[in-house]
Amino acid sequence: MWQRIDKEIRTMPWGVWALAALMVFGLSVAFYRLFAGLGTTTNLNDGYPWGLWIGFDLFVVAFSGGAFTLAAIVYVLQMHEFHPAVRPTVLTGLVGYGSVLVILVMDLGRWDRFYHFILFPNINSALFEVSWCILLYTLVLISEFSPVVCQKFGWERLGCFMKKIALPLVIVGVTLSTLHQSSLGSLFVVMSERLHPLWYTPFIPVMFFVSSVAAGLAMVIGGATVSRWVFKRTLSRNLVAELGWFLPWVLGFYLIMKIGELLAAGELGLLAANNYYSLLFLAELAIGVVAPLILFSFAAVRRNRNWALFGAILVLLGVFINRFSVTWWALKPIDGYFYFPSWQEIAIQVGVLSGAVLVYTLVGRYLPLFEGTVDVARAERIAQRSPTPQPAGD
Amino acid sequence: MTKHAILIDLTQCVGCHFCEAACQANKGLPADTQLVTLRFNEFTGEDDAFSQEMGRKQCMHCVKPACASACTVGALRKTADGPVVYDAAKCIGCRYCMYACPFQVPAFQWDRPMGLINKCDMCADRLAAGEQPACAAACPTGAILFGERDALLEEARQRIIKAPDRYVHYIYGEREAGGTSVLYLSDTPFAELGFPEVGYESLAHANEEVMHATPTVAAGMMLALTGVYWTVKRRNELMHRHPIDFEVEEAEHVAKNR
Ligand code: SF4
Repeated sequence: MWQRIDKEIRTMPWGVWALAALMVFGLSVAFYRLFAGLGTTTNLNDGYPWGLWIGFDLFVVAFSGGAFTLAAIVYVLQMHEFHPAVRPTVLTGLVGYGSVLVILVMDLGRWDRFYHFILFPNINSALFEVSWCILLYTLVLISEFSPVVCQKFGWERLGCFMKKIALPLVIVGVTLSTLHQSSLGSLFVVMSERLHPLWYTPFIPVMFFVSSVAAGLAMVIGGATVSRWVFKRTLSRNLVAELGWFLPWVLGFYLIMKIGELLAAGELGLLAANNYYSLLFLAELAIGVVAPLILFSFAAVRRNRNWALFGAILVLLGVFINRFSVTWWALKPIDGYFYFPSWQEIAIQVGVLSGAVLVYTLVGRYLPLFEGTVDVARAERIAQRSPTPQPAGD
Repeated sequence: MTKHAILIDLTQCVGCHFCEAACQANKGLPADTQLVTLRFNEFTGEDDAFSQEMGRKQCMHCVKPACASACTVGALRKTADGPVVYDAAKCIGCRYCMYACPFQVPAFQWDRPMGLINKCDMCADRLAAGEQPACAAACPTGAILFGERDALLEEARQRIIKAPDRYVHYIYGEREAGGTSVLYLSDTPFAELGFPEVGYESLAHANEEVMHATPTVAAGMMLALTGVYWTVKRRNELMHRHPIDFEVEEAEHVAKNR
């Protein structure tokens, strides 16, 4: 047993150690932050009471949306061909939400009272709804992932039970996701005086929801290529291509909504202003919506792993720009206030994200995460054996 | 119950800061923390005449406060008596109220390890004891009037009518953000004094409209998902496309790995 652990530790790739180092450093800073207070460790101020952390929370939750999107596709629409993607994606969601929970606690002035949202509900508050949904949905994700753990340790009874209740779990999970992907947007409905009109709309919850579907799909598609390098396991090209087929529709819908909202509000003229705000807005649409929309319309792109990764990165970049715009970049400035994150904020954020990636990597190494996926090593062997290389794995 | 309010006639303010001091003393605040802030605005007129006009910032005690609507734990609440009160024992320090407030009033205790919110509560405890707020009691010129909101609005209108040259013809707070319980009169346009220009509707309305859609969305979503599930399942059955049974598949896997 000990020998085995010893051997595992010795053969661990250096990347894992690097992640662990970042995580330990970030968590030590986080520990310091908890006792030193927000003023001494962050650059947040009365003009910008939220910053980097909330931006990342929104972004991470958005791309964790792959879990509910895929669950809906596989279990509700019963397109079972996508099943191999479920486990890796649910795990992405799980580590994503885990990191968001940690950062949210960091962000509270009175972190010791984090449970107050259970004791003192205010049903009018978007943040109240967000907190509840994140809590409940994390529990759903844990349940959805539990069969993998059960399989590893041979707890067949429990595993089978969890699979039996998979459908109701999925329905509850998709509903919770819909609610809180959108209620993260609802957070900004009350901020009409602060958020620039290009971004402000009472429909921001719907936009958050739709873009989270796009980000979630992009995460699965891009992740397939990355996991091919890291884990030597990947989703079949057919599967990736079929997932990619959804993207232009989702992105197109999002684009129509974004432009349509400006039209309806009579704010289209703001786009022609050619100032910081209009450029920021157009950057999001050009990089994160129009470009990948065109790319993923081509079957050749959907079937090419590197191009698919590139397109997925564009989508994620767009959602990143969007989420940071509404929390930070597109807020109307207030005289005398300026915000740029402190090194502590960055260190904690990097540490927590590294921790998330580290957990994912370790689970990928030791748990049956990639069942039904393509074994790249085997594909390479086949390619070597046959005189004309077959595109089995790639 | 009467709806208490405060009317501040800035033309009578001499900038003595007594209100700030009285507030700090009454609340026992540290020296660098203020719930009421006077702000000097310096103007140079056309004839190079230099003048100073007072701006002022404190909680506006909105009739329908957005902060109370937004607060995660309901630590902020509009009382029937008029003030918007803050329950420091509930607050988790999430700072959402700071973004919800169109006047940027709630301030965070950045320097504390366990930070909370600083906000004026119109001296709700003094009101309960039948006294006026500390700032109103301290003002030597009578620039801060405490009373019932409707009566104060009427008083403000009368002042403008009686001395139309002395005032800008506007009562700040009458309609701002759906109406506030702190009202201002001034001889200088409010925008120049640093008063934010906010719409006439309470931001709480849009927020609550969206939030109250939640149960409908949740119920609709569950129904729709279940409906879609059964439809697809039935369709697959009719088309004799048997969905893959993952437990059977799983069993094969288990057998294989034994
Ligand atoms: S900081 Fe406190 S008072 Fe403000 S919204 Fe959060 S919990 Fe409510």
